[in-house]
Amino acid sequence: MLDAIQFSTWAEFIDMGGYGFNVWSVYALFAILVAVNLIIPWRKKQKIVRQLKRRMALDAEIYSEDSSNSD
Amino acid sequence: MWVWFSKLGSPKWFYELSGKWLPWLIAAMVIFMTIGLVWGLVFLPPDYQQGFTSRILIVHVAVAGTSLAFFPLMLVAGIITLVWRMKLADMVAKHAAILGAWFSFITLATGSLWGSVMWGTWWEWTDSRLVSMLFQLFLLLGVISLRSALEDSETAAKACALLSIVGCINVVIIKYSVEWWNTLHQVASPVSLDPSSPNGPQFWIATLIMIVAVYLFLSVSLILSTRNEILERERRSQWVQDLVLKN
Repeated sequence: MLDAIQFSTWAEFIDMGGYGFNVWSVYALFAILVAVNLIIPWRKKQKIVRQLKRRMALDAEIYSEDSSNSD
Repeated sequence: MWVWFSKLGSPKWFYELSGKWLPWLIAAMVIFMTIGLVWGLVFLPPDYQQGFTSRILIVHVAVAGTSLAFFPLMLVAGIITLVWRMKLADMVAKHAAILGAWFSFITLATGSLWGSVMWGTWWEWTDSRLVSMLFQLFLLLGVISLRSALEDSETAAKACALLSIVGCINVVIIKYSVEWWNTLHQVASPVSLDPSSPNGPQFWIATLIMIVAVYLFLSVSLILSTRNEILERERRSQWVQDLVLKN
């Protein structure tokens, strides 16, 4: 399997037979596509959960104040 | 079948079921992505004419092919929204438009990066494949801005379903453009099992793995966004509040 590796040095790997800029740009764009569209929804979920928790805590506080006032 | 269908429309049911699928989908995505990228960048031999730019094509073909799935998906979702009043389908359509625009943009950019060295040009206005793909990007941007401009969700769903019909016709044009008009973009290479052929198995199996990886990524991203939308829309319901407390 190691025989099938197309490069013997790092410089050759970066150079991609003279097409280094184009090949690496394409893989970088692909990485951006995947990373952005997974990280954005993931972070958004954390934000939603955080906001809901805060709201529920606030609701609970108001509720307990109401019940203590009514006593 | 109908019970199953109406259950699927329930956001709570979808949220729970997708929660069970997600770990498996993510695991499969990571495995296929890793195999595809390592194969593409390290093991794939240079093409006899293109050299290592063939490594661009396995990514470009996978993303471009998948980008054609968005308008049919949005049309089906639009019909389900309008006929069966299923809010869930509308949420999927909304996020499919955004992801589809990303896919179309990356298709054009990676294609340009290949064409700039192999065709000697970044862009060609007279090529039908290039222009119809650009049209798809603009249509999707149109759908996104229409949705954010229209307050009424029913009007938005109708307008988007209408644009999806145009988008689907355009998908057919994109698909067959290289055969109907013989301009710059080449036709799809024939698949060959012969290892000594220029498009031998090493190229199309690598492409196939990337296509599976890209479809898995699309599903994961779309499910994550749809789940967020469900949480926001159902935030007052008891099951969402219970879920947040457990987290």
